[in-house]
Amino acid sequence: MPRSGEPLTAEVAGAATVPPAPRRGRHPLLRYVSIRLGISVLLVWGVTLVTFVMTNLVPADPVTAVLGDAAAADPEVVAQFRRELGLDRSLPEQYLLYLQRLLHLDLGTSAQTRRPVLDDLREAVPATAELALFVLLVSVVVGVGIGVFAALRHRRFADDVVRVVSLVGISAPTFWLALVVFYVGFYRLGWFPGSGRLDTQLVPPPQVTGFMTVDSLLAGQTATFVNALAHLLLPGLVLTLYTVGLLARFSRSAVLDVLNQEYVTAARAKGLPGRVVTFRYVLRGALLPILTVVGLSFGSLLSGAVLTETVFVWHGLGQYAYQAATRLDLQAVMGVGLVVGVTYITINFVVDLLYAVIDPRVRRQ
Amino acid sequence: MRRRHFLLASAGAASAATLVACSSDDGGSGEAPAAGAALVVDNAFDLKTADPARSFELTGALLNRQTYETALTFQGSDVSTPVPQIASFTISDDARVVTLKIEGEHKFADGSLVDADDIVFSYQRLQGIKGNPSFLLDGVEVRKVDAATVELVSADANPALPSILPNPSLGILNSELVKANGGTTDDSDGAETFLNGQSAGSAAYQIDTLDVTSQVTLKLNPAFVGTKPTYSRIVLENVPPATQKINVQSGTAQIATDLNAEEASGLAGGRTAVISQASAYMIFGWFNTDPRFGGPVSDPLFVQAVRHALDYAQLGELAGAGSVQPGGVVPSQFVGTLAQDPSNTYDVAAAKDLLGRSSYDGQEIQFLFSNDVAVSGVQLQILAQAIQSQLKAVGITIALAPKPSATSLDSFRSGEFQAGLAYWGPDFPDPSNYLAFTPGQNVGLRAGWTPQSAGAGEVVTLVDAAKAASGPEARGAAYEALQRQMNVSGPFVPIVQPAQNVVTAAGLEGVELNPIWTMDLAAVR
Amino acid sequence: MTLVSTTTRPRRRVPEALRSPLTVVGVVVAAGWLLVVVLGPLLQPADPLAQSPDRLAPLSAAHWFGTDSLGRDVLSRVIAGARISIPLSLLLVALSASVGSLLGAVAGLLGGVVDEVVMRLADLVLAFPTIILAMVVAAALGPSLTNAVIAMLVVTWPQYARVTRSLVLGARDREFVVAGRLLGIGWFTSLRRDVVPNVAGPVFALTTLDFGNAILLLSGLSFLGLGTVPPTPEWGLMVSDGVQNFTAWWVAAFPGLAICSIVLAFNFIGDALRDALDPRMQKAVGSRAL
Repeated sequence: MPRSGEPLTAEVAGAATVPPAPRRGRHPLLRYVSIRLGISVLLVWGVTLVTFVMTNLVPADPVTAVLGDAAAADPEVVAQFRRELGLDRSLPEQYLLYLQRLLHLDLGTSAQTRRPVLDDLREAVPATAELALFVLLVSVVVGVGIGVFAALRHRRFADDVVRVVSLVGISAPTFWLALVVFYVGFYRLGWFPGSGRLDTQLVPPPQVTGFMTVDSLLAGQTATFVNALAHLLLPGLVLTLYTVGLLARFSRSAVLDVLNQEYVTAARAKGLPGRVVTFRYVLRGALLPILTVVGLSFGSLLSGAVLTETVFVWHGLGQYAYQAATRLDLQAVMGVGLVVGVTYITINFVVDLLYAVIDPRVRRQ
Repeated sequence: MRRRHFLLASAGAASAATLVACSSDDGGSGEAPAAGAALVVDNAFDLKTADPARSFELTGALLNRQTYETALTFQGSDVSTPVPQIASFTISDDARVVTLKIEGEHKFADGSLVDADDIVFSYQRLQGIKGNPSFLLDGVEVRKVDAATVELVSADANPALPSILPNPSLGILNSELVKANGGTTDDSDGAETFLNGQSAGSAAYQIDTLDVTSQVTLKLNPAFVGTKPTYSRIVLENVPPATQKINVQSGTAQIATDLNAEEASGLAGGRTAVISQASAYMIFGWFNTDPRFGGPVSDPLFVQAVRHALDYAQLGELAGAGSVQPGGVVPSQFVGTLAQDPSNTYDVAAAKDLLGRSSYDGQEIQFLFSNDVAVSGVQLQILAQAIQSQLKAVGITIALAPKPSATSLDSFRSGEFQAGLAYWGPDFPDPSNYLAFTPGQNVGLRAGWTPQSAGAGEVVTLVDAAKAASGPEARGAAYEALQRQMNVSGPFVPIVQPAQNVVTAAGLEGVELNPIWTMDLAAVR
Repeated sequence: MTLVSTTTRPRRRVPEALRSPLTVVGVVVAAGWLLVVVLGPLLQPADPLAQSPDRLAPLSAAHWFGTDSLGRDVLSRVIAGARISIPLSLLLVALSASVGSLLGAVAGLLGGVVDEVVMRLADLVLAFPTIILAMVVAAALGPSLTNAVIAMLVVTWPQYARVTRSLVLGARDREFVVAGRLLGIGWFTSLRRDVVPNVAGPVFALTTLDFGNAILLLSGLSFLGLGTVPPTPEWGLMVSDGVQNFTAWWVAAFPGLAICSIVLAFNFIGDALRDALDPRMQKAVGSRAL
């Protein structure tokens, strides 16, 4: 996850891989894009290597994690199991096999669900994505709103409110916040459904997008849609409390930054009305950094999701990762690592591109 | 041993996303169908597959019990005597040959009759797949005698076989259907995917939809020959215990299977009813007898001191109402169980005396357990802390070594860990299952217990006697004698058998708890 | 948009940001907790490990915060928990800052292959959600305090490496440093004289903010059963005990509040420090582990 609001590879552009001065005739943007793309591909490869090495350093044997007692005592059963998972080969061999299968989009078979990891992920990813997008939507509206407001009325009080809200949001442990919300909203008050994505009595809509809300609308089932939305509220609230603070803070400083720019001062000096300056110059100028952090907070949402999903029995990526890690389901752990890593790298790549497009100084370096 | 009850909500993938929605009668139009005659059962899933020959988890047993008939079965909660389901049985005097004879008509969903070929195929497939439950029929040769008769021949005396056959892993499959979908009787079998999508059994229900991580729905088997069940649709949903309680209180679910005694106690009366009985799980302490790994705990005097240092009543209270202290390793429901044994009693003075005579000298003992496991709602982590504090009172210092079950099982099975807390759920309801705890056997070896260990000789003699005994009474007496000796020189301290608590909506009838498959849902009214 | 793009020598006067009421609140709460750490046993009404038959007892005069599922006094355990989480998180942050800064400084000063390797490694670690990576490491090594710290170290060093590296790069190219090098001053001397002072302030601000993250990460791992070992009164572990007993809300509520208050206090302070040391750093949003 992004430890801070900066894009992963922004500084790379600044120093580490300073390319030689561009030759004439080559489009500098194209060159920049290809370098960034190259780095991203390299990172993806690194992710596969890291996930593979990490999961294979595990001293415990997945055999015992998956097989029953009697079966684990039977050498023939164990041998059959190891063969199935390819555990009987050497590590480099296993890695090459893994890469080879990866190219065919084969992520292996999960030891705990006994299904292809890809199939598991196909169900887990939309569940988490639906939650995360819901949270982002709410947080962007609320967070950016608060942030811009605080910046435009740059007074102590509004400033302090933003600061407190954002810091409180990031200071409460997610797992605890999830419990509190679950306890109050579901157990005590019973106002909201507690766990899962849909009430048991309801038959889930046919899977199109994997988003319960969208799929139920597509199937024309309004009652199911309302129910799915209600299920989103509590876990959504937990994650929103964090993201709102993040976005509010970031929007505030982005807008403040733009307010100090010469062109805004110039616009004011020209005598343009305040509203025009605000919307045409200030907000436009702050849009890019805000978009960036919106993209990046998606990554940190995944982290929050691990603990939130555990509490709310949300069968998403976070819960899948936790199950896989504690049950030493290596193929599944690698699958999750890959999905998360690639998502993060892709977002960064897009962010870098946006920067290059908007700010010509970046690509000229 | 079945693995069970993970503390935090179980399993990963998104709920029900691949479920094919709206059964055909609904036509996919308009609103989702209402619950109607559905029976909703909340369970903390440990489900991996719906293929009986590969399944060996409690949820799997619960599921397979509803979708597959077995040759023999148990009546309600009574697991001491196997009775016919598809077939009646006879066992030879030397306990080597069990003969099954199909009784009456049993029909698969496609209308075909269950015959000897189906039984032979199902058993041989279980053996050939080499999956988790394959060991149930180890050393058993399956032979077809005629269209209605099957002979099971064991190399050695196998008096437990009739008690093994009701296991839901030994469900009888429609051999033609399964073969047509990749089924074989060796490890090239490819029918698991098929069996996860639909059932091939002759029981009252069939799988409608299945997601091993979140929900299973069952529909009626149209060709079922028995009494038509009250509920035409069953929803098994994966719900953590805290939510199960709320669901059954609010009427969202009719049955909740995983409440601990504390949670269940407030639910008796009113809109809910509680059914409570001792589970077949046995939680035990173990101490490595191999001096290389056990150090001071390998001294039998030390283990005897521990037996008297534990306050079983207090531990039982922690495990909740309805739990019992087993006298030996065999649980209270089975033939050969030991009601109580003076070796395992709370007596601080005796414990201190024994400890003083042992080679223990204040060393810190590493105590292993799974920190993500609750056995019938009893968390091992809580029990372990209580044990730590009780042993401290007599002067034994233990350091807790919690691990997630995946890694803790690994350490336990290595036979190289010093001591710990573990649990055992029966593979089949016969005391011979517990021979695993004797010297040189599966569980015994994990505590470094071999026939060469000090004091193991007498136990080995009693093991042979128990194996040789035939008839319930003689076997019972032999197993009791064996356990008494194990409580003197063995490394295992039986601590508690927790209660199994099932909460149902008031007015629900026919719920009978069974330690192997939890309950028979077709009988619920 | 790098985290720190200008390097200045730390200013001496007490900046406005440090005088804000929030900072004062943060300092007071943090000081309170430090006092609890120091006085610990004197403040506990009972032995935090002593079990009693009075299990899951609600709040009362005898047990202000109630008792947990083994009859232990929750207040005493929360107090004792401060002596675990706070020193451990300080240690972790110190380790992480040292390792990360050292790697970052080396990468920045040496450049070339070393720089590439270190920074790509940092990028890789950053490409994973912290908790998932820490979870895998901790699950692999087995739960224990030491292993939890190792797992956390693995996931926290990169941010220090990146900040330090960018600061070092900034300082390296400044005129006085370049001039010093030209005058024949060794790079170690230049590191000590010119680079360290420029790097120390921002890194210190980062550690203050990161302290909260360390507490959150440690308690998160313990909550998942991958950190501290029972019966240690660690806050995350205490919260996980409460999950099993929803009717006894106090078991999880108070340790959770303890985590919130100390993390919030340090975030207030760190935030102000960051503003004071470098106003441009405001742009970098508060980081967070869980």
